[in-house]
Amino acid sequence: MWVPTERSFAIGRDIRGGMQEQAKRWTALGNAVILLAVLGAGQRPHASQWLTGISSSSVGNEEDDDTCSGSLLSAVQAAAPATEVPTGGDIGPIRMVQDPYPSLHSIALDVATNQVVISDSNRGNLLFYPRTSGSLSPSVVVPERQIRGPATGMMFIAGVALDSAHNEVFTVDNDIGDRMLVFSYGVEGNVKPKRVLFVPHGSWGASLDAARDEIAISVEHINTVVVYRREASGAEAPLRVIHGNNTGLADPHGLAIDTRDHQILVGNHGNWAPLTRLEAMQGALRGGQFQLPSVAAFDETASGDVKPLRTLQGEHTQLNWPMGLSLDPVHNEFAVANYGSNSILIFRRTDQGDVAPVRVIEGNRTGILGPMGVAIDPQNDELWVTNYRDHSAVVFARTAEGNVAPKRILRNAPLDTPAVGFGNPGAVAYDSKRKEILVPN
Amino acid sequence: MFARLANGNVGPVRVIEGQKTKLSRTMHGIAYDELHDEIIVPVHLAGALLVFRGDAEGEDPPVRVIQGPHTGLLRPETVALDVKHNEILVGEDSGHDVLVFSREAHGDTAPLRVIRGPKTELDEVRGVAVDPDRNLIVVSSRSKTFPTGIWVFNRTDDGDVVPQAIIAGPKTGIVRIRQIAVYDGRIFVAVKNNKDSFDANAAAPSPWDPDVPGFIGVWNIGDNGNAPPRAWIKGPATGLIWPAGLALNSADREIYAIDSVRNGMLTFFMPEVFGSRGNEPAVGNEQGKE
Repeated sequence: MWVPTERSFAIGRDIRGGMQEQAKRWTALGNAVILLAVLGAGQRPHASQWLTGISSSSVGNEEDDDTCSGSLLSAVQAAAPATEVPTGGDIGPIRMVQDPYPSLHSIALDVATNQVVISDSNRGNLLFYPRTSGSLSPSVVVPERQIRGPATGMMFIAGVALDSAHNEVFTVDNDIGDRMLVFSYGVEGNVKPKRVLFVPHGSWGASLDAARDEIAISVEHINTVVVYRREASGAEAPLRVIHGNNTGLADPHGLAIDTRDHQILVGNHGNWAPLTRLEAMQGALRGGQFQLPSVAAFDETASGDVKPLRTLQGEHTQLNWPMGLSLDPVHNEFAVANYGSNSILIFRRTDQGDVAPVRVIEGNRTGILGPMGVAIDPQNDELWVTNYRDHSAVVFARTAEGNVAPKRILRNAPLDTPAVGFGNPGAVAYDSKRKEILVPN
Repeated sequence: MFARLANGNVGPVRVIEGQKTKLSRTMHGIAYDELHDEIIVPVHLAGALLVFRGDAEGEDPPVRVIQGPHTGLLRPETVALDVKHNEILVGEDSGHDVLVFSREAHGDTAPLRVIRGPKTELDEVRGVAVDPDRNLIVVSSRSKTFPTGIWVFNRTDDGDVVPQAIIAGPKTGIVRIRQIAVYDGRIFVAVKNNKDSFDANAAAPSPWDPDVPGFIGVWNIGDNGNAPPRAWIKGPATGLIWPAGLALNSADREIYAIDSVRNGMLTFFMPEVFGSRGNEPAVGNEQGKE
């Protein structure tokens, strides 16, 4: 049985007990390093020596064989000024590919306050628009307000949720940051969050359960759903954790609370691998797996290694990298942002097994390109989609089907502006045959 | 995939994506095999290595998949290619190891060799490269227990072995480390230097306030211990904040860096670090370290 406090919530231990001790270590290490740096200065070969080629005479620097354990941060800060300046230095790039515009990720609606919030994972930004924003013109729509800046703590943010009862907006860092950040309605700019909660690395979807006063978060890397008190903060542990072989959770993404039937819907990409060698050896020896993508439903009080109440999975579902989910309790349906096929799939709320969607929005007239977020507005009979591979969100009639044009388009960049599409990239390679640079996201 | 000369706000010329590709997030490695025209990618979240045709596009599936309990793969983080010896090298963060497979391995295949164990002092392996001419494997490892830095092993090492060298210590400037590449006896390193913040009341680590900006560092493959880099790309003009990956193009004497916070790809022209071999044909894995 996976115990969250032993792995994913190690950050919490650091907060509770480790900071003072760590600070002492840093201070001691920093003092030692200053001494070593002074002693070692001027002993390395000149750059021209090694640039002529590698030889036994040009390798060296063995004078200090010390290595740093623990945090190196203050040690490096202390040592850097004492070292000889290496070749190169502060040189500018000759080319740089970067997107100056937001990459629209997840979306949430609050009909009560007539606002839409969209997360921008490219620039660590929350964008707020009036619910009726957008048109069929090529004009760029300026957000009503934005929350962005170092004080916000937002990094590579993903899921968003709006709480109209308490006038709060929630977002989670998917990568680098590992936080859930809560802001009050109405704030903008570089503001500190009202609350910060440390969440497991790889958090993606977030959905509020107003009735239970809880928030559920999906976590990709550890194939888990964690449920916290709505007001949880700091290193607070979750109330419940859904994790284990029986859950079928495999690289979970979108998540939606069904307050009508008291269930949690979770979309899975289907990637699964053991976290540790111990887990790999539990039961039969298991390695990584590619399962079919799915949407699983759990009871809202589910905890531990429980089976889902039902699972939607199979060829007929057309699921293909399912991202955001949105529930429509009024019309008994839910929508899936189906990134892999640039489509929106609509299912009946209780569909299970290998069933086809009741409607699909797909085609070149739809303006859907890399759909990441989806939000149904049953009161105004609309359906919103955020495009990750285009600088736009598109709004359809709720019952739209097939290759239909959106009724409104919300652009955050001039028409036909390319979307670079980087999302916290971590690697690069060069294809010398095609003269192309390869970047996995 | 971006054109080499792409600059500014430019979209990709090709994209491989979709369920059939078996790709996922958290792919922290990639290698290109010029000889066989193939792309190799580790899939961390599914414990797999994928091999694609070089011209793959759209929802093209991989031509080979290494995955399964007998592979010994846990969560592959990074990958390198040794064309000379027909091998693929894989580094794992949570597996604390380096596994070596036949380049043509497919399915639930056992590795040829594994470097793993307490003597190695490997922890979270974030980068791997090979020098097929000097018969060395170079590994970047990040740890809170062991050193964080650059490890050098013999290429044919197997099991719980002591490294030939560890480049680590305050003078290296390395706090956190990611992808590496080897070319002509030089080790090129993406020193990411990102930090965690454990103070809920403090500003999060962010693109706006990095305390120790990352850099691209270059060491000699014979360096050992607390050695400062021989060359580096570092400073505000570089645009680098937290570089997570790098690749080399020796023909054009360019270094490509990917920055995870900037969400940007930067090209640096630095002919002096490619030495006299700069225009020679690609050897081993120098043309595309993960």
